[in-house]
Amino acid sequence: MLSSKSGFKGIWFILPAVLTLLVLITYPLIYGAYISFFDTNLITKWNFEGFRYYKEIFSNTEFLSRIILTLHYTVWVVAGHFVIGLGLSLILNMKLKGITVFRVILILPWLFPEVVVGLLWKWLFNPLYGLFNSVLMGWGIIDDPVSWLGDEKTAFVAVIVVSIWKGFPMVMMLILAGLQSISEDVYEAAKIDGCNRNKAFRFVTLPALMPVLLVTIILDTVWWFKHFTMIWILTQGGPGNATNVVSIDIFKQAFEFFNFGKASAMAILVFFVCWLMGYGYRRLLGNGDD
Amino acid sequence: MATTKRRFSFFNASMYAILTVAAAVVLIPTFWMVSTAFKSNEEVMVSPPAWIPDHPTFDSFIRIWKDYPFLDYFLNSVLVVVASTVITIVFSALAGYGASRFKFRGKGTFLSFLLVTQMFPSIMLLIPFYKVLKTFGLIDSQWGLIVVYIAFAIPMCTWMMLGFFQGIPRELDEAAMIDGCSQIRTFVQIILPLSLPGLAATAIYSFLIGWNEYMFAFILVTTETLKTLPVGIGQLNGYYKVVWNDMMAASIISSLPLIVLFLFMQKYFISSLTAGAVKQ
Repeated sequence: MLSSKSGFKGIWFILPAVLTLLVLITYPLIYGAYISFFDTNLITKWNFEGFRYYKEIFSNTEFLSRIILTLHYTVWVVAGHFVIGLGLSLILNMKLKGITVFRVILILPWLFPEVVVGLLWKWLFNPLYGLFNSVLMGWGIIDDPVSWLGDEKTAFVAVIVVSIWKGFPMVMMLILAGLQSISEDVYEAAKIDGCNRNKAFRFVTLPALMPVLLVTIILDTVWWFKHFTMIWILTQGGPGNATNVVSIDIFKQAFEFFNFGKASAMAILVFFVCWLMGYGYRRLLGNGDD
Repeated sequence: MATTKRRFSFFNASMYAILTVAAAVVLIPTFWMVSTAFKSNEEVMVSPPAWIPDHPTFDSFIRIWKDYPFLDYFLNSVLVVVASTVITIVFSALAGYGASRFKFRGKGTFLSFLLVTQMFPSIMLLIPFYKVLKTFGLIDSQWGLIVVYIAFAIPMCTWMMLGFFQGIPRELDEAAMIDGCSQIRTFVQIILPLSLPGLAATAIYSFLIGWNEYMFAFILVTTETLKTLPVGIGQLNGYYKVVWNDMMAASIISSLPLIVLFLFMQKYFISSLTAGAVKQ
């Protein structure tokens, strides 16, 4: 077999990628952890502070409340992606006429840059000239224009809506590909055994789809937990702290208040939260065999 | 028989109804972007807003090139993204091939590490990158961004290429080697030509990462003429006077390259992306 005595050659092939990742990912990560122990402006001032920032972060509930807000946001966004993505992918997987047209249309939001999506929805939500208010007022649902992004109560919901709009195509595509890898024969067999549509979904589709769902849900959760760009464009974390998710909080801590040490400490903690979520999902949903 | 058929078509009709609603939810905002871009300055500021401009005009599309450094933004994005994509593709194809054809120590670790990188908040890298690039005088340079985008794209692209190579029978490699091809020649002359669709899909993914990236470009580049498209467009948002029609015109232009690429490549793209993401 090819692989028996070629152990060394394999290394040569992956070496460029490994070196790049060591220099560009591993080293910066470790360096980031290092920065978290210093009171620093990254140029001239490097005062060792030990665990001061970690203690500071844990000594009040501010960071915890950001994490909870971010989890709250992530749960809604991921749930939205899954309900819509799973539903649409099941339909797109049927042999309906003209389905390709819908497939292309439904992928569009994913192809728009995040900045574009953020700006577009900011414009849609514009209190005076935006389409959203105009339509809702036309239907008689609201009487006066609402400042969707300017009100603490609505801004959070608005940001979630935009995030679901932007992200569902990715989930839809991944599940659709999973569906297409299930062979027709299994469904034929299930039919012969007397399964109707619902039963076939429960006993054939879902189990076969489980690995895809697991990977998708982990990636989607982590991606949106650390989301930055669209929220930054839409609200910059405001009004008040209504949409101040952790990545925006860290960003402000670093590049508005120049508190690089503390921001780094927060980032490290966020990494652990992300890692824990992935671990938790695997324990809950799969057998963790990767 | 007749009843099942009728039930079936009722079922189909409701599926189309759901698809139509979903398509409308996607298309209405998109339409609003296009419609705004063709409005005059006066017509943008009209309440209630018009769905279709009364006097459609190309002014916004002309203004963005004339009044803002939009051409700079555009060319910068092209330069940074093309350079990082080329390097990413070479490295990922090599790594994907290596991992698909050989057993070696640390392969499992390498592949898991690629997945773990997806869990880092990228903001974790932003601060160290900022410092390191500053030390090397690479802040405010396109090299800095190229380097960052390579790091972001390699993990997923390697998974995608790995999935793709696994679909190519090993017998081909073996036959080529028996005919006297070296390992690298086998890869370049036999396997790579067969993987063009996978390479193209991976290239799109890498392109997408760089073309859309905002946060790093926002922090690492400050000179106006070196900024990339997302940052340039985002800036139109910050000034005291927001020119929505110009901003929407710029948004359309910056979205087009990806949409066009995707339309041509969608079949390969989706299957490769999922091969990488799902077949772990």
